[in-house]
Amino acid sequence: MSGRRPVRDGLLVGNLETGEAVGLAGARCRACGEATLGRNLLCPNCGSEDVEPLALSAKGKVWTYTVVRYPPPGDYKGADPFRPFALGLVELPDGLRVLAPLACAPEEVRIGMDVVFQPRVRPDGVVQFEYALASEGTAQ
Amino acid sequence: MSDVVIIGAGIHPFGRFDKSAEEIGSFAARAALQDAGVAWADVQASYLSRMYLPATSGARILRRLGGTDMPIVDVEAACASGGAALHQALLAIRSGECEVVMVLGAEKMPRGFMDPRMIYADWQIEMGMSLNPAYWSMRAMRHMYEFGTTELQIAKIAHKNHNNSVHNPNAMYQKAFSLEEILNSPLVCDPIRRLEICAPDDGAAAVVVASADFARRIGARKPIRIAACVHTIARYSADFRCPADSMSATAHNDGPTEVTAAKAYERAGLGASDVNCFEVQDTDAFCELEIYEELQLCPLGEGGRLIDEGVTEIGGKHPVNMSGGLISKGEPVGASHLGQVVELVAQLRGEAGPRQVEGAKVGLGHVLGAGGNCAVTILQR
Repeated sequence: MSGRRPVRDGLLVGNLETGEAVGLAGARCRACGEATLGRNLLCPNCGSEDVEPLALSAKGKVWTYTVVRYPPPGDYKGADPFRPFALGLVELPDGLRVLAPLACAPEEVRIGMDVVFQPRVRPDGVVQFEYALASEGTAQ
Repeated sequence: MSDVVIIGAGIHPFGRFDKSAEEIGSFAARAALQDAGVAWADVQASYLSRMYLPATSGARILRRLGGTDMPIVDVEAACASGGAALHQALLAIRSGECEVVMVLGAEKMPRGFMDPRMIYADWQIEMGMSLNPAYWSMRAMRHMYEFGTTELQIAKIAHKNHNNSVHNPNAMYQKAFSLEEILNSPLVCDPIRRLEICAPDDGAAAVVVASADFARRIGARKPIRIAACVHTIARYSADFRCPADSMSATAHNDGPTEVTAAKAYERAGLGASDVNCFEVQDTDAFCELEIYEELQLCPLGEGGRLIDEGVTEIGGKHPVNMSGGLISKGEPVGASHLGQVVELVAQLRGEAGPRQVEGAKVGLGHVLGAGGNCAVTILQR
């Protein structure tokens, strides 16, 4: 097994081949303090170059969500045939909100719910990500 | 600073037509010239607002009106393209370079959800995050959670706009729907339903803009003053209607509608309570509810109350989307703001027929879209 690659360069940290310690890459601006998703050389808030890498927290809470009930346009790589899915804006304790599919039945989702990051390896070897509901054992 | 006025307005109906952009665009431009009583040869510059049409569409469309050596420039700012184009006309006239300018909005768009490659990155498309209504719906969900806004209140806005459209021969759908029909229409992205959402389509609308001096010289019929025309881009993390990599949970910047409207009110020397009629970006019914708050028609969280009390119906204190809004007209992106302006000109001239807001003196048009582009135009008779 080889050739796994992230859905976007600079989006993931960890070992994609083994799945060990895979998580979201982030960046924190030393000037204004804003945390952002992925590798960033400039802060999108204040424009500073004084930005340091940050491994984003795996755990978050659903800040808002919707259920996508029609196949998204373009080169969508989700379930085929299409199944409606929940899309959530997940608030991380690092001070940012990240948009991602929620890996659960759409009717289970509520605002404020605890969720946890999980990578999803596609058949084509591309690694994308989603959030699963935090079960009793994993939520700490 | 001398006044800039609209002296002519024209529109080609919004809908789906077996006609080229050249045909529908030149139709609207000719109608605006005729309304202004101005010859094409008198126009000194033209701006085309468009997003989906190809390069040099302004020249392709407007050369149909006759040979010219004026500058014709295409302007693009997503759903706010029309505001950006009108703003260019304002600058051209205020600078003294021009006295008469044509501003045309035109678009032809395929059916269905908009091509995501225009505004999303590949990874967002692959992960299923490229459906525009998903973003509007997430805002609605959060508003319902924070303020108790209901699905019925959202449906009431669609109901009002569909009702208004019955009197607009330029709307794509001219059909009233009951609240039951709206609430029983299929969910697109929870909680937003099929009959609460606008569709991309074809359309064109145009205005002839002139200096007040020029309007006086030719004895223009009922000129309408542009009291303000402002275009802005959303501040950092201020609008998650536009796809961003991530949103801040700590920065609290005002949204693009709030910022743009505040600037427009200040430049016009007017407040929300002075505005008699509004045309706003109802890409979905919830969006209009939120705009009530952001245009300062009511405090944050009280948009639902406004629709419950009928404040925004024709005959209410602050009518919104007398034309039927984008929900019934469709959204030909480049033409949508000019379509609003054409409606407001008719309202302020007292020529809006069954949609007329009694005694309207001030009107406001608002558009908002991808990239956090927002434009607000305030017109005054």
